[in-house]
Amino acid sequence: MTTTEASRDVVFAEIAGMLRTVLAELGVDDVEIDEGTSFNEDLELESIDLVTLTALISERWGEPVNLAEFLADKDLDEVIALKVGDLVDFVVTALARAGG
Amino acid sequence: MSRFLFVVPPLVGHINPTIGVAARLKADGHEVGWVGPTAALAALFDVNAAFLPSDRPLPEFQVAGRPPQLRGFASLKFLWEEFLVPLADTMVALVDAAVDEFRPDALLVDQQALAGALVAERRDIPWATSATTSAELLQPLAEMPKVAAWLDDLLAGLRQRHGSPTATHDLRFSPHGVLAFSTEELVGPVDGKIVFVGPSINARPDSTSLPELDGRPVVLVSLGTANAEAGEKFLRTAIEALAEMPDYQGVVVDPTGEVTDVRRVPQLALLPRCAVVVCHAGHNTVCETLSHGVPLVVAPIRDDQPIVAQQVVDAGAGVRVRFGRVTADQLRAAITEALDHAEGARRIQRSFASAGGAGAAANWLSELAATRTSGLKR
Repeated sequence: MTTTEASRDVVFAEIAGMLRTVLAELGVDDVEIDEGTSFNEDLELESIDLVTLTALISERWGEPVNLAEFLADKDLDEVIALKVGDLVDFVVTALARAGG
Repeated sequence: MSRFLFVVPPLVGHINPTIGVAARLKADGHEVGWVGPTAALAALFDVNAAFLPSDRPLPEFQVAGRPPQLRGFASLKFLWEEFLVPLADTMVALVDAAVDEFRPDALLVDQQALAGALVAERRDIPWATSATTSAELLQPLAEMPKVAAWLDDLLAGLRQRHGSPTATHDLRFSPHGVLAFSTEELVGPVDGKIVFVGPSINARPDSTSLPELDGRPVVLVSLGTANAEAGEKFLRTAIEALAEMPDYQGVVVDPTGEVTDVRRVPQLALLPRCAVVVCHAGHNTVCETLSHGVPLVVAPIRDDQPIVAQQVVDAGAGVRVRFGRVTADQLRAAITEALDHAEGARRIQRSFASAGGAGAAANWLSELAATRTSGLKR
């Protein structure tokens, strides 16, 4: 396993954990999450849930990973189509850019 | 005395709060006319209600039905592109004809009946926004500029087709003022010219009889008037959850009659008997429940509901669960937890009681019409 793959797995696991935290607050604790899971259709996340997720991500990785900026760059159809894998890609890329 | 034209979308939840305001205006000697109600909704109004323009039958808007499975941003896209914008395009001619006939001194325009805002700005008539739900006040798209730009484009298109080329305000927020049927205690701090009047709950005629009550505190489960198709699974889960709560009597409302035979309840009469209300976080059900100081379990489905649900949670007046995914055990735990939120619910109840409701809204509107300058072109 290369370093990149390893860190990608770690990032996925952390993001899945954060999503479970967000969902648990809503009384959901039994959801399957993989990279193809859609935020809108599968997880039924609303914009206010994304705000919570943004806070968790910034708590974990700090300045270099700015989900608010990531979302700000998405148009409506991109937001609707957003999948967990897209967020993993973004975090991995942002961490690599930050030398992390 | 003044004439007020109320411009509403064909949606029960948006019409109901304005009916009480119209009644107060009429009691004070003003005239009120309506544009927007469809024939199917005429029963909401008293028999003397003036529907305009009066030379034709009530409209039947041809609007695409929204697929019940749509959620979140997909639902937002459908709401605006397939419903609100076409509705505005269709309603403009009706509003113009109503203004020609009725010559209103001011318009009250629902936030989802944009035709009223377009005609008012083009013909330079004072108008207020009616925010029957408070979600838009919080500018939910502020963090997503590209999504906000999509909506701005739709609104700009409407203005280009029907409005005033010189106007610059957001069509959803009248520069004269926005009547919000909630309170800052529930909504939280907001920007802009917002007049919080609290809920306008009219003692609407309701011939439905109460379900048989056995004296135990009631847990009412209701998904409102607009969500029957999507609700079957949730209602079955609620029945399962309530089956193991022997200290409470569950009343599960199912307009389809598929899950229970309680198709309707007289909600206002039932609320004083309720310990908890489980609902979809529709603004009117939430406000009616909190007006009785009853805490909530909110299972938002779409539209403004997730935001209203969050307001309930932030106010300490209830618990949020996931509409599509909650299990019976989770729902039972949420109902039990909500019982401890009665104090938060009573705090909102007090804020509602002091906000003035329909009377405060009517007073504010009559001042708006009275301060109108005489030089306005009509």
